[in-house]
Amino acid sequence: MSLFPKITQRLCGLPSPLSIVNASKSLSCGLHTSAWHGAKFSDDQGGRTWFLRNEKVFPPQKPGEEPRPAFVCHMRSNVRGNYKNMWYQACFVRGMTIDEALKQLSFQRKQFCADIKEVLLEAQEKAVKEQGVEFKSNLWIAESFISKGSHIKGMRRHARMRMGEIRYQYNHYYVRLEEGKPPANVYNPKPSGEEMLQEWLERMRNRYVRISF
Amino acid sequence: MCVLMPAVVSSNVQQQQIRTTINKHYNPQYRRHRGAKIIKIDLPDLTKEKDDEMSPERMRSKMKEKGLQPPRPWNERNFYISNSGGVFEPYVPPEGDGKLSAVTVEGAKQKLEFVEKKGKSMMAVRKIKSYDDDFTLQDFVQDATEIYKNAHEALMNFRTNKEKLEEFVTEKAYVEMTENAKYKTVSWKFHQSLSPPKVVHARTNSVVSKDNLFAQVTVRFHTQQSLCIYDRFGRKIYGDENLVKDVLEYVVFEKHITEQYGKWRVHHKIIPDWMPASEPIPRTYRKPEPLPDLPDTPEEEDKSSDSSTKPDVAIATA
Repeated sequence: MSLFPKITQRLCGLPSPLSIVNASKSLSCGLHTSAWHGAKFSDDQGGRTWFLRNEKVFPPQKPGEEPRPAFVCHMRSNVRGNYKNMWYQACFVRGMTIDEALKQLSFQRKQFCADIKEVLLEAQEKAVKEQGVEFKSNLWIAESFISKGSHIKGMRRHARMRMGEIRYQYNHYYVRLEEGKPPANVYNPKPSGEEMLQEWLERMRNRYVRISF
Repeated sequence: MCVLMPAVVSSNVQQQQIRTTINKHYNPQYRRHRGAKIIKIDLPDLTKEKDDEMSPERMRSKMKEKGLQPPRPWNERNFYISNSGGVFEPYVPPEGDGKLSAVTVEGAKQKLEFVEKKGKSMMAVRKIKSYDDDFTLQDFVQDATEIYKNAHEALMNFRTNKEKLEEFVTEKAYVEMTENAKYKTVSWKFHQSLSPPKVVHARTNSVVSKDNLFAQVTVRFHTQQSLCIYDRFGRKIYGDENLVKDVLEYVVFEKHITEQYGKWRVHHKIIPDWMPASEPIPRTYRKPEPLPDLPDTPEEEDKSSDSSTKPDVAIATA
């Protein structure tokens, strides 16, 4: 099948990037992910402090204060995909209500959207069970972003006995659901004409003429 | 290189032509050869199977694949029995306790029931005295009230100071008190005792070996307390700071009497069947789906209280 049999044979002899480190090493750290996917992924499970946000206890509020909205932080580690492409899908659900997000994600054709949907459903369950959210529809996506995880390097052949590197990227997806209605603008809204005028006026009036009488 | 392929998206309202690019090479003849350029590797799917969700059989087969031996169990940890796991012959409080006035015949009878007159309890008290010369029920009752108050005050700050709570509460009670309070703020206040606390029950028992004795004494408290619980976000979910309630409780204190440094600590709270249920938290939750497969599953009762967030402190109106 291959046009360059010798090269492929040589390459088959190379150790797989997923080769397990010494059994003794994995046992000394306890039986965790190091046993399966190499030390690489066991060390990188994403932001360690993300889940800690679920454990912070806020001081009691005064009687007149507006109730603080409940939130739940959830994440999924090591989802395979291209960081730059996944970023768009993570941005997609920002500021949506949970129901709207689940509906929209069902009709997206990207693989990562299916993962996002699962994560949102898990987070919704967590919110109701653990964080004291009463109505599971009363949630909106306050934060939705990704960060880079470890990657595995593969190889590909080029012409003239040259080799290229392929990166199989793994990313972590973080989401924070907050109770209540989403705000009208998730990002900084474009100022209206009136607002722009006021800003301009303020800038003009703030000018100070030095060395004047 | 890319081919602009017109795609037609049909909708009920109007038809839109969308042009997209396709990641397809223009010459399909050498498709396989192009594919052969890439060296296939086994990519792990880290989201599907997680270590903690894998069944032992699956784990074992995976380890076999990788050529790993199973981990060696290294159980060298000593364990120390610092409290008995349960309550020895729990006290059964009489019905109508705390509701009868001392003027009636029954009320007077209740008031005069002394623990010294009860056989087993008397023997237990004697046993405790054999290990602790200064033990008297009168002094003990005062100490017990102090321990009770300190335990609840320690519960309010247990996240920052765990050791303080462990001083006044046994390990069994620690779990029961803190499990639901982990992510909540508890605000508790002891106002006064409505009637002097009374020892109603005493038992001793050995755990594992005959000379490892634990003593348990049940004290009846009729007090006024106020409780307010805030959830993780500081929102009030139960009670009120200013609402004072009458509380009738039977608290079991335990001490490891054969140990030199044993201390009396709160061990358990006896909640009798006739005690009215505590006020539920005003929150609704979705009734869980009944399990279809099991024929013996009882019908789910329609509760209006959320049992997972029910407070541990049982509050009863006397």
